[in-house]
Amino acid sequence: MGKIIAIHSYKGGTGKTLLSINLAALYADRGKSVALLDLDFRAPSLHAIFKMPHGEYWLNDYLNGVCEIRKVLVDLSQTHAKRGRFLVGLANPSTEAIREMTAKDRKWEMNALGRLLSLKTSLLNDMQLDYVIFDTSPGLQYSSINAIVSSDVALVVSSTDISDIKGTHRMIDELYDLFEKKTGLIMNKVLTEVLASKTERADLAKQLMNKYNFPLMEMIPCFCDVLRTGGTTILATENPEHPFIKTLDRVATSIENL
Amino acid sequence: MNETMEVMIELSKHGQQAQTQDGLPDVLDVMTLLSLPDHLRKTAVTLCRLEQTTADKVAEQTKRARAVESSYLNQLVLMGYVKKERRGRKAYFLVERGGEEKEANKVWARS
Repeated sequence: MGKIIAIHSYKGGTGKTLLSINLAALYADRGKSVALLDLDFRAPSLHAIFKMPHGEYWLNDYLNGVCEIRKVLVDLSQTHAKRGRFLVGLANPSTEAIREMTAKDRKWEMNALGRLLSLKTSLLNDMQLDYVIFDTSPGLQYSSINAIVSSDVALVVSSTDISDIKGTHRMIDELYDLFEKKTGLIMNKVLTEVLASKTERADLAKQLMNKYNFPLMEMIPCFCDVLRTGGTTILATENPEHPFIKTLDRVATSIENL
Repeated sequence: MNETMEVMIELSKHGQQAQTQDGLPDVLDVMTLLSLPDHLRKTAVTLCRLEQTTADKVAEQTKRARAVESSYLNQLVLMGYVKKERRGRKAYFLVERGGEEKEANKVWARS
């Protein structure tokens, strides 16, 4: 049985989308069948990164009960997977669609939760996918909580900013634990000097794990050259030897073993 | 009789409101799930996943006893979040999800 992984954060700009895309590409390179779904309906971004024609339908349509999930997925295996299968589902980036998604009522959100929960059957059982990755909205919004409830593993991405750390701490305590989620924390964009010094690195890890009780999975340094690409390249495909990808490869293995 | 008593005690203990302020039944969305006590949350999430099912099937997923799940599902019924239907000799529990078709029609009309 495959796994649904929700990639989430308390604050925006932590690198969720970059991690989601490269994690999906890494699994595809390992020969796995992967679907990457853009569940950030307030700020969709995968359409801009993959520069692909969208499928017959958007993920918005799937959650609206208009179509089956198969009709949303676009197969990018030829261009983005050396061995496995790489499927992508896009959120509608039009202003009208974003406005519409933010104005949904509780009944709609309940139905959307049902549709997300049923992905376990349609994608993992029927389509035999190994991994489904949800790229979610930051913070505690309906769409992101729905995504977390529907996932098997929640991967939280945080920066070293104290407001982010404290918010992440509250979120894990008051949300993830309530739904008994397997959780992993990735500290992203950590200052290179901190990670270069063994003492500082150990101190930070100790503080995160002891003081905040974080399930720390990995600390990723801030790579200026990754930021410089501006999201125009998928490093796991184009530069698999990059240290960022090597670090993410360990995350991929940790999730496999969860 | 015992089951009903347990349900009433549970309801008064947690002070759950089956209805919203405007008198409409509350919905089983994530906000409701967050407000439920732990034991009911697990049952409710499982039911959301299975959509309509029996206590047996829920028990299979939660690894708890069928009688326990039956009691929890009945509590959710009394709270107004879940509907119960008899089909032959079996009791089915379901989350009422209407409004999807209406939404779908709206989307089609726009396109």
